[in-house]
Amino acid sequence: MADDDRLFANIRIVLLAVTAVVQTGLNAPPLLRHQADYRPAWAENAAFAVLALVTVVCAVWLLRRRPLPTPVALGGAVVVLAASVVATAAQPADGYFLDVHWSFGLVGWHLIVLLVDRVGVLVGALAAHVLTSVTQFVLVGDHDRAEVGGAGVVVLSVLGFQSAIVVITLVLRRQARLAALVAADRDRIATRAALAEQWERDRRQTFAGQLGATLPLLAGLADGALDPSDEGTRRRCALAATQLRRLFAENDDVPDPLVHEVKACVDAAERRGVEVSLAVSGTAVAIPTVVRRELTGPLVVALSHARTRARVSVLRTDQEVRVAVLADTEPGDGIVSTSPLVQVESGTYGPRTRMEARWKPN
Amino acid sequence: MEAQLTAVVVDDHPAVRAGVAYWLGAGTPPITVAASGEDVRVAWIGDGATADVVILDLHLGGPTPALGDLRRLVEAGRRVVVYSMRADDETALTCLELGALCYLTKAEGEEHLVEATRAAGRGDPYTPPSLAGALAGDRSDHRPALSARETEVLVEWFQSESKDFVAQRLGITASTVNSHLERIRVKYAQIGREAPTKAALVARAIQDGLIGVEDL
Repeated sequence: MADDDRLFANIRIVLLAVTAVVQTGLNAPPLLRHQADYRPAWAENAAFAVLALVTVVCAVWLLRRRPLPTPVALGGAVVVLAASVVATAAQPADGYFLDVHWSFGLVGWHLIVLLVDRVGVLVGALAAHVLTSVTQFVLVGDHDRAEVGGAGVVVLSVLGFQSAIVVITLVLRRQARLAALVAADRDRIATRAALAEQWERDRRQTFAGQLGATLPLLAGLADGALDPSDEGTRRRCALAATQLRRLFAENDDVPDPLVHEVKACVDAAERRGVEVSLAVSGTAVAIPTVVRRELTGPLVVALSHARTRARVSVLRTDQEVRVAVLADTEPGDGIVSTSPLVQVESGTYGPRTRMEARWKPN
Repeated sequence: MEAQLTAVVVDDHPAVRAGVAYWLGAGTPPITVAASGEDVRVAWIGDGATADVVILDLHLGGPTPALGDLRRLVEAGRRVVVYSMRADDETALTCLELGALCYLTKAEGEEHLVEATRAAGRGDPYTPPSLAGALAGDRSDHRPALSARETEVLVEWFQSESKDFVAQRLGITASTVNSHLERIRVKYAQIGREAPTKAALVARAIQDGLIGVEDL
């Protein structure tokens, strides 16, 4: 919206300049020339001064690119109309709408400057201006047809010209608004595109970061440096497979992302032939992705070490979220966590290893 | 020797009825299935009406759980083990509140069903791991206050499915694990609507010295 505001501030300044030029360039010379014809001349000069003053007052706001406050605009319009009545009343009877009647056209310009932001009032004020002037013209005495015809031509041409200016101004303003809307739309789309691009880049980096364990493993297998029949290699494969499954599940849009990820890990373990019993209790709570990753990370490791059986549980109380695994594993597989968010505890109990990751919101 | 424990099985799947009957009959001592059927009427007529324990499937062919049937059975003083496909905590807690002695999911197998039936025969509650999870995750306003140790027992039992493991982890005996679980159930029996099974549970807990009268 800023663009069309700026444009309209410029239009107001142009209108103000036109009014000032018309008053000093076109209206001051006839006023000076016909000083002797007015009855009395001081009324005419006072009206001229008042109109000049209105222009100056308007300039205070318009040159600073601000719209006129409502009291100034409406008060100014009343003053201008009053000045018009005074100036018209001081005309010689045969001078109406002619060169000597300088105020008629000028008052229209003043009204446009004052009321261009209030079109309805502007139309009313212009109509009032024309009506009072015509009424004064009628009241001042008999006019022959040539006089009436001449007056009509002047009134219509002045009115037509000024109306055209008003219409052009309004059309310009509308176009500017539309243009601003289109521009805002374009900006929004551009922002969205940039965001999507950024997201995509982040995603790529995250994936690359989390693929850490997989890439050297694949390279080792391809080079023949790692033996697929080796127990250690098999365990690394199990870990990498579970990590990948968890990673794929991480960005799925599901109502319960934690359980979704846990199920992905369980599924990967079951594919290896591990019998897993999964239990979930409590309702889903919102968990930040980082925390979720740290809750399921130890689970990935624990499950990849399970030999034949594992019990996986997710418990969500009003105070905490706990993900636990109890599995039969090879001894010596401790899980260490360095996370400040999630507390991980693991221990060996006879043939079984227990791991628990706990997170307390707040 | 005591008379053999009898049960009536209400389940809309014939395979489940047959499987349950087999499991119960294979236990030592065996539990006799006096009657079984796909409609809750079998628990009210003939041999089913006098069976010691009702094993009730909550979802009898319809989408809504048969909570009304459960309530009527419990109000008639029947000892009910709910045996359900669904593992949602809210339903489990509602069944306990209505007076079921056990809520068992079908994912939990033979061992739990036989033990739950046997406990129900004595009028005792049985808390399988999934139900322990539901109790541990209970966020309702009227839930009873559990001690830290009781909560720990619930969580460990839910996580490990092994009372020996719970005992080992917490440095207590398996029978202490059981009495913790029982005390928790007594606390739960004291909330919600009244039921004969729940009243009996509380009364016996006082007799056995599991809780004091001042705990009421």
